[in-house]
Amino acid sequence: MYNGLERLDIDKRLLYVRNIFIFSLSFLVVGLVYFQLVKADEYVELASGNRLRMIRLLPPRGNIYDSGGVPLAVNVRIFDIKGYPMDISGEDDYSRVASLFVRHGIPMTPDSLRESVEKQYVAPYSAVSVATNLTLAQVSDLVMDSEFSRILFPSPVWRRIYPGGALMAHVIGYVGEITRDELENQRDLYYQGGDIIGKIGIEAMYEEELRGVVGDEVVEVDSRGRRLRDVNYNDPQKGNDIKLTLDLAAQREASRLMDDRRGAIVAMDVNDGAIKAFFSSPTYDPNPLTWGISSKEWSALVSDEDKPMMNRVMGGSYPPGSTFKVVTASAILMEKVADTNSTVFCPGSFQLGPQRFRCWKRTGHGTETLFGAIRDSCDVYFYQMSIKLGIDKLIKWARVLGVGEKTGIDLPGESRGNIAGREWKRSRVKESWYQGDTVNYSIGQGFLLMTPLQLARTYAAFANGGKLIVPRLNSEKKPEWAEVKISKPHMDTIRGGIRAVVDVGTGRVAGRYGVQIAGKTGTSQNPHGEDHAWFVGYAPADKPRYVAAALIEGGGSGSSVAGPLVAQMLAYLLEHEN
Amino acid sequence: MLAEPSYNWSEIRKGLDMLMLFVILVLFILGLVSIYSAGAGVRKSTAAYAVRQLAWGGVSIVAYAAVIRMGYQNFLKWSYSIYVITIGVLVVLLALGTASRGAQSWFRFGAVSFQPAELGKVALILFLARFCTRYQPDNLKRFVAALVMSGLSVAMILLQPDLGSALVYGLIIFVVLTVAGTPVKYLGGLIVCGLVAMPFLWNTLKEYQKLRLYVFLDPYIDPQGAGYNVIQSRIAVGSGGLWGKGFLHGTQGRLHFLPEPHTDFIFSVYAEEFGFVGALVVIILFAFLFWRLLRAAFRTKDPRAKLLCVGVSAWVWFQVMESIAMSMGLAPITGLPMPLFSYGGSSLLMEFIGLALAQSVAISPVRDKFADIT
Repeated sequence: MYNGLERLDIDKRLLYVRNIFIFSLSFLVVGLVYFQLVKADEYVELASGNRLRMIRLLPPRGNIYDSGGVPLAVNVRIFDIKGYPMDISGEDDYSRVASLFVRHGIPMTPDSLRESVEKQYVAPYSAVSVATNLTLAQVSDLVMDSEFSRILFPSPVWRRIYPGGALMAHVIGYVGEITRDELENQRDLYYQGGDIIGKIGIEAMYEEELRGVVGDEVVEVDSRGRRLRDVNYNDPQKGNDIKLTLDLAAQREASRLMDDRRGAIVAMDVNDGAIKAFFSSPTYDPNPLTWGISSKEWSALVSDEDKPMMNRVMGGSYPPGSTFKVVTASAILMEKVADTNSTVFCPGSFQLGPQRFRCWKRTGHGTETLFGAIRDSCDVYFYQMSIKLGIDKLIKWARVLGVGEKTGIDLPGESRGNIAGREWKRSRVKESWYQGDTVNYSIGQGFLLMTPLQLARTYAAFANGGKLIVPRLNSEKKPEWAEVKISKPHMDTIRGGIRAVVDVGTGRVAGRYGVQIAGKTGTSQNPHGEDHAWFVGYAPADKPRYVAAALIEGGGSGSSVAGPLVAQMLAYLLEHEN
Repeated sequence: MLAEPSYNWSEIRKGLDMLMLFVILVLFILGLVSIYSAGAGVRKSTAAYAVRQLAWGGVSIVAYAAVIRMGYQNFLKWSYSIYVITIGVLVVLLALGTASRGAQSWFRFGAVSFQPAELGKVALILFLARFCTRYQPDNLKRFVAALVMSGLSVAMILLQPDLGSALVYGLIIFVVLTVAGTPVKYLGGLIVCGLVAMPFLWNTLKEYQKLRLYVFLDPYIDPQGAGYNVIQSRIAVGSGGLWGKGFLHGTQGRLHFLPEPHTDFIFSVYAEEFGFVGALVVIILFAFLFWRLLRAAFRTKDPRAKLLCVGVSAWVWFQVMESIAMSMGLAPITGLPMPLFSYGGSSLLMEFIGLALAQSVAISPVRDKFADIT
């Protein structure tokens, strides 16, 4: 405990505190003397001359074009009506302004006006929008009103429109008003409340390129807010245009092929990763989202059972089914579990302990080599080999071929699918890995999930001789890829197999559209209903140019439903190559 | 019930530091006047802020009397529990904030909201006063123990994140530890640690917070954005001149040039309308307040009470300095309320409670004298 001496010690230090208090308060007095006495005249002048007004001039965003220069996102000039908070934010002002608009046929209530002004408020002399999206005719009617010019002024602004509409929604995305969250977390303090920002798609991905440079105008006004003179003017600068690799006509073809089914089609150049078609069905029109829709319309859109806002090409994960067999085959060959002459006898099913795994062909395929197993999509061959191969090696080669990782396409919101192994199952399902799980994986079932884009990319690697390419939509972006170390003879075996699928195997329907296709069908089990139908292929088979993947949700058999889609898509692309 | 006998009214009347109470009430009234003036320009109905503040003032004065009657000794007895509960409240607040994915520094009960960071200041001072007396921080082990225990609350506040309040906490801890007899070399070490940590802290700041510091150095780098507040506040204070523009005649506040005129920039509103003379009066009133607070610390024989008074003084002093210096652009904007002045119920209430504890210290020698006679 303290004794008397120590109490004196506290008091000694208290004296220091007292001295610091005296000194610091004196410092404040000196500051007040300086600002309120020495510099008072200067500041009185500034206060009475607080007549500067600042207007932010938003630039038009860069346009987005398809590969042929067709505009997909452009700007139109329309008008916002602006005013300064200090002039319009009195309780009487709100109702006066609102009735002015109502008089000219533009709906507005004092409450809605107040809400909007308060939301945009930055400073009393920083203009806010009172009404938006007015046409030239409406504005010229308004400015004739004598009351209008005293407090309000029209300001031309740019609005985004998407001529491609629903066709391009999942690629282009849309823009919208910046949210509070986005405002607070912005990195470079470019935005203010009420600004427009890319929300999704190319608009969000290339926001910084597209948005341009904000200009500003500083004007001096008289006591009634009328413009006296311009003090400063900085031109806004238009954002950079972006030209896509995608072709609007090919996209239209994809949409026509998909019709009104749920699913996705994606087509890509196998050599440089340029996306040619990218269609997710059903889709939605981004135009109303940009111009502002009611929360009721918005919730109807997001709660739609068919999920039109979901980007199925890269955000939808599905079991790849038999299309995955090329991956299993690569692992089998590279890990020397079998060579091209090894055979398996398929009696129509495979017995693993008490469990029986069926081949899709109940009567069995008889004796099959790897080549034949791919051609006929023989499940038993892959079941048996996968047991010898083991799950770890299968996952290793799946990863090499891009399964379970994002493709790196220049769009936000990509899903990575799932190629989870032992640890994942232990932590998630609380069970250890069984051989039955490996058997399921070998034919693309089980926990395995892939997006159509991932699958197209995996097949492109076979088509281009071992480049796992990064898909790209921006034509300016340099092609990038990773080398897939699968030896050429093995690759040729697999390529031969999937060519035979279309020539004589399970995918013959895909061969009827006049192009030489190599590809693979897939029918993946869907716990929620009818099987999903897959087809992935590339063409021409001997000198591949394009790869395409199609998925029809609940479409049933891959060969009959998805095969023709891919074949027609590839035929279209080759036909319209130049 | 109370662990120590409470004070009866005749004891209180005998020992009450009338000057301290008077200064507090005058400052509160001047603040009320400024809030009314600031409200006169704000878009919402004019007197609403002032009326609410007056109501909170009533609550605060009742609390002030209650604390004095119970006596600071009882609060010191409960100080550990109060501190633990406060930390608990801050943890709950953080959890709620994480759940709603945003910074959360308020509890809301219908129309009334409460800021636990304010409660934490009193809890921290009580805790330190007791802990540092029981375990005087004159060796490294005890110094670090005090630092860690009190640092817990700072960490909670930083996580909210409420940088301004965290600064107040830090200053309170530093001053109380200093006065409690921490050897100078430890204090030096603490300052060095702080300086070393500076670059790391800088990186955790959000862009807008960094901008506030940049515009403190030069407001004209962003005159329409972050620098705007600094410039407009300086214009408000400066244009007040010697005598001020008069009550309700300040243009900066009334024309909404000043942001947050009834909270952060309340002193700018006051200085514009009441000028240098009015501002000087406020500074002198605060000087009187500090004098009386430190006088109570000098006079009491109880070392815990000394630390208690010092903690309260450091808290009030830092927020007064920050608010007034900020209004002239001489300190960066932190959003801290000006004690007794700014609009805000929880800060006002906790300031009154803190000052009541100091008043109770001022009263306590009465009982000592009494005890000496019997």
